[in-house]
Amino acid sequence: MPPLQQVCQILITTLGLRQMPLSEKTPLLGSLPELDSMAVANLIIALEQHYGFEVQDDEISAHHFATVGTLSDFVVSKMA
Amino acid sequence: MTVDTLPFNALPFFLNTDEGERFCLYHEPEPGVQPRGTILYVPPFAEELNKSRRMVMLQARAYAQAGFGVLQIDLYGCGDSSGDIGKAHGEIWLNDLEQAWRWLDQRNLGPRHLWGLRLGGLLALHFAKRVNPASLILWQPALSGRAHLNQFARMQSAARLFSTGPSVEQNTEIGGYLMSPSLSKAIHELDAAKLTPGCPVQWLELNTRIQDAAEDYATAAGISHPALQPASALLITRWRDAGATVHTWSLHGDPFWSSAEIGIVPDLLAATAQAMESA
Repeated sequence: MPPLQQVCQILITTLGLRQMPLSEKTPLLGSLPELDSMAVANLIIALEQHYGFEVQDDEISAHHFATVGTLSDFVVSKMA
Repeated sequence: MTVDTLPFNALPFFLNTDEGERFCLYHEPEPGVQPRGTILYVPPFAEELNKSRRMVMLQARAYAQAGFGVLQIDLYGCGDSSGDIGKAHGEIWLNDLEQAWRWLDQRNLGPRHLWGLRLGGLLALHFAKRVNPASLILWQPALSGRAHLNQFARMQSAARLFSTGPSVEQNTEIGGYLMSPSLSKAIHELDAAKLTPGCPVQWLELNTRIQDAAEDYATAAGISHPALQPASALLITRWRDAGATVHTWSLHGDPFWSSAEIGIVPDLLAATAQAMESA
């Protein structure tokens, strides 16, 4: 499964977005009421557990959480 | 779930230690059932301790019905125990576990096992080096103390994304707990990769369901169990290469230790019961 699709699945399960269609352009931070600070922390934990990488404190920036696409790009950059 | 409707039957008490009292709950083996041993439960940290109480209580009761005495302890500075975590020394939680372990020995019910959830799993692995339990039951263990504490610290960083005003520095606060440097250092040093267990391990973990083509295929083929998380699989391979005996159960289920609502995962309870019988 391509990273973008995996990230969508992780978002759906972590945030409980069962019925919501997600695409690369779907805005996240500030647009999804489900995405509060606790959810951001849980989302990062889920990504770390799934991919086995570690997210540093200074990498938690609004830019990475802007859209599904930017989050997926971030994951890909961490895997590189 | 039928087990959920049974009356709550556990003995609460305070265990005396050199440094105050610890709140404990003891589930006696069910009367009429042949006692088979005892289990010391090592709890997770901070909010995960509270979120998981219900699942842990259900599992403790299931163990008691199978003939095990189960002791739950709130570690120093946690839950309903005394102590200020901001002043704790690095050995304090291990000392607590040692007291609890001794208390279980006095029950004279047979082999003693260790069971831990999240950070409690990692602590149990460390503590097992001292006391050689009959087996280790690990529920979603943290693999690295450093990474685990970072996850709690991260909630503060995540909150920053939403704040419009100037940020408030809270460097030493982790998950709402002000942790002493000594205890934080001791936890940072915990690393499952360096703690190859010397006793059989029952490893149980939950993975959120990711519906994709591979999953559809697996379901169609009658394979309903997800793969272990990559990081767990790697660690377990290393342990096995070093001679450890590890039985694994990977299940679908939501993380009840962090979910917004108190969650119950019946499949995990069933698998844990099965694990004890087949280990």
